[in-house]
Amino acid sequence: MIEHEVIIVGAGLAGSWTAMVAGQRGVKDIGVLSKIHPLRSHSGAAQGGIAAALNNARPVAGTGPRGPLEPVPQGEDPPDSPELHMFDTIKGSDWLGDQDAIEIMVNEAPEIIYAYEHMGCVFSRLPDGRIAQRRFGGHSAPRANYAADYTGHVLLHTIHEQALQHGVEFYSEWYCMDLLVEDNVCRGVVAMDVLTGEIHTMRAKAVMFGTGGYGRAFEVTSNAYANTGDGVAIAYNAGVPLMDMEFVQFHPTGLYEHGILMSEACRGEGGYLTNSEDERFMERYAPDKMELAPRDLVSRSEQTEIDEGRGIGPDGKGIYLDLRHLGAEKIKARLPQIRELAIDFVGVDPIDDPIPIQPTAHYSMGGIPTDADGQVIANADGQVIADADGTPVVGFYAAGECACVSVHGANRLGTNSLLEASVFGRRAGHAIADFVQNGAELHPVTGDPAERNRQRVARLMDGAGSESVEAIAQELKQTMTDDCGIYRDKERLAQAMQHVGEMQERFKDARVMDKSKRFNTDVLAAFETEHLLTFSEVIVAGALAREESRGAHYRTDFPKRDDEGWLKHTVAHKGEPGEGPRLSDKGVNIDWDRFPPQERKY
Amino acid sequence: MTTNGSRPRMVTVRVQRFNPDVDEKPYFDEFQVELTPAKTILDALHEIKTAQDGSVTYRRSCRHAICGSCAMYVNGKNILVCNTPLRDKIDEEGTVTIRPLPYLPIIKDLVVDRSSFWEQYERVKPWLIPSADVPEKEFRMSSEEVAALNKAETCIMCGACYSACQVIAMNKRYVGPHALLKAFLRVLDPRDMAPSERLADVGDQDGVFRCHTIFNCIDACPKDLDPTKAIETLRKLAQKRQAFEAARRDRQRMLNEPIASS
Repeated sequence: MIEHEVIIVGAGLAGSWTAMVAGQRGVKDIGVLSKIHPLRSHSGAAQGGIAAALNNARPVAGTGPRGPLEPVPQGEDPPDSPELHMFDTIKGSDWLGDQDAIEIMVNEAPEIIYAYEHMGCVFSRLPDGRIAQRRFGGHSAPRANYAADYTGHVLLHTIHEQALQHGVEFYSEWYCMDLLVEDNVCRGVVAMDVLTGEIHTMRAKAVMFGTGGYGRAFEVTSNAYANTGDGVAIAYNAGVPLMDMEFVQFHPTGLYEHGILMSEACRGEGGYLTNSEDERFMERYAPDKMELAPRDLVSRSEQTEIDEGRGIGPDGKGIYLDLRHLGAEKIKARLPQIRELAIDFVGVDPIDDPIPIQPTAHYSMGGIPTDADGQVIANADGQVIADADGTPVVGFYAAGECACVSVHGANRLGTNSLLEASVFGRRAGHAIADFVQNGAELHPVTGDPAERNRQRVARLMDGAGSESVEAIAQELKQTMTDDCGIYRDKERLAQAMQHVGEMQERFKDARVMDKSKRFNTDVLAAFETEHLLTFSEVIVAGALAREESRGAHYRTDFPKRDDEGWLKHTVAHKGEPGEGPRLSDKGVNIDWDRFPPQERKY
Repeated sequence: MTTNGSRPRMVTVRVQRFNPDVDEKPYFDEFQVELTPAKTILDALHEIKTAQDGSVTYRRSCRHAICGSCAMYVNGKNILVCNTPLRDKIDEEGTVTIRPLPYLPIIKDLVVDRSSFWEQYERVKPWLIPSADVPEKEFRMSSEEVAALNKAETCIMCGACYSACQVIAMNKRYVGPHALLKAFLRVLDPRDMAPSERLADVGDQDGVFRCHTIFNCIDACPKDLDPTKAIETLRKLAQKRQAFEAARRDRQRMLNEPIASS
């Protein structure tokens, strides 16, 4: 039995912030588990920037929304504000974001950026030495603070290195398989040491999940192999409800046939989207914001162009991202990684030719419901507690993409994810330090949870069935893409619901090929697939129930937003075996005086 | 099956196998994989693992050359397998040979033990040591100062340089190109408060003076970084540390002030 004061699962930006802050606050005994080395975390793949109204850059007066930017001279009125950032985020969320949490995020944004800068993060700079800023979709001011087009990478390395200083114990390549909650109190986790294959019960006074998103449930995705939503599924299996899972963001510019991210910074720097007729088709869908409309709208516009026969490429399922007019110098200085990826993967140099792209599953707005301090908010009956006086899951915290605070609502704006993971990871670190230092205890666990999980591995290795894990995973991804993708309707969703259920049944007969204990990634892939099946059912159930279109969730049979019926979060609780998720809802925090719902036009 | 009726072109992928629990020594398995234009070496490995032999073991995550997991030794060179097209690595016999990074203990098949690599990384204190007295907003850095870091901040810690280094092959006490590149990043950063201590730390026989300037690290780096040049810079600075210390003190007096435009 391994024991720590605090166990953090996931070592991307959210988990690393929590670890660093708790360490700085004097929590002595922190263990951080990651199924891959911390520096391999997917936060590092974020490219374009991290949002904050620093007021370093502004558009040159009179040049319009696509004109050049200039430094804001010292002493002049700041053109941007947290208030404006807040409004943009709310509008981007299609009014499903909780406005109290959004306000906290935008207000803490500038100091988070300065904290990164003081810790040594290498940002791109303005001529006067301040941090450079660029435009991003859905933001009405240039507030994406960036390091060329590898912003997430430099933030991740910076925060990991700082966390190393605070005596945090890293369990690199340990796979969390189970969350231990009894009587509404979190008691620890079960995890596999991948190197040895040994499975351990790990007790802690507090557990924090920063386990990332679930884009791997889709065929074409920008997500890493690792983004299989493990934490989301594990929490759900432990009786914690999930919120707003039906909101999955498709990024407009994934590399054609690969899905690999081509940063929104391409459009932030002025790139065009064109169809097979060489039209900048966004004129028809968002005449004002054009290519810098929010991602849900741009992806839908692309899909419509493709569906109506104006796509590019051999199968007509692509769109062009044209950067040529930016010129070689700007592309090399601001978008070096994009250029490298386009050359390596599709043989296109963006200086000379347009890049073929397509929409790609990118970000999970839904997840484990938390308050603004990372505290998971569900009571013993699995009901979400809306107010601060309710009973939470004692000692269980979550932040980042696996969590649902909810600041992104129905659609996240670009550059708000690095910000969210940082702000709420940091806040969770403080909350956990308070919790531990105010006399939290280690609680006993019933039975032998490690043994229970050893049996799961044994079934995968020794059972009589012969279903292929990969075949089921592929079928699931195809189903989710075809029937629960950018455009959804009742018929296809009902079909998907049934299909996912069948695949869950088949998975009981799934077997792995690798029977060894040492570094068995075949077993990991099986657990990951089981997790995909677990939460995909929740995505589909939420999408089927939500009879409206809002943000990234678009129902062709209910194409309008319905604030009367659906201005509320979907909450899914695990039902009895064979029953499927039980759905309930939770109100949205709205400041009706300042930011009442409006029509969302760009 | 191809649409024009011709037979698909198959490639032989030779994978070095070794599970220390059961195998006495490494050996090769051969797999047949269809060649398609977009297929990367990582795609080929994924196909082998999921359709042919699930026990073939390797690390991977992001699949676009930013996470640093999948550095391997392919046809005699350290590369990332995720951004390398399969078609680019087929030898005269129609074969691609994949082995783990050299000079590191093998955990299983293509997975190596990078412990010494990470120990050296931590040994150089990779974190920036900031001033206790930070401004309300950001420190000012000029674009020239950022450019002088020579993109060292984009290192993905894949280990390709480390395992290509002839000195590392002989001597694991050597700090290594990856960690020296990190030390260079911190020493050159005007915000770092301990460049002099860093130079003292790496300015010994296990540090910058151990590099034999063979340039293998540059050839191996999948991100086109230049550890050798970083090591040379550190070597020069280590030799004139006092002047460097004085210059840094001068610079830090102005670090909270706008950069004068040139």
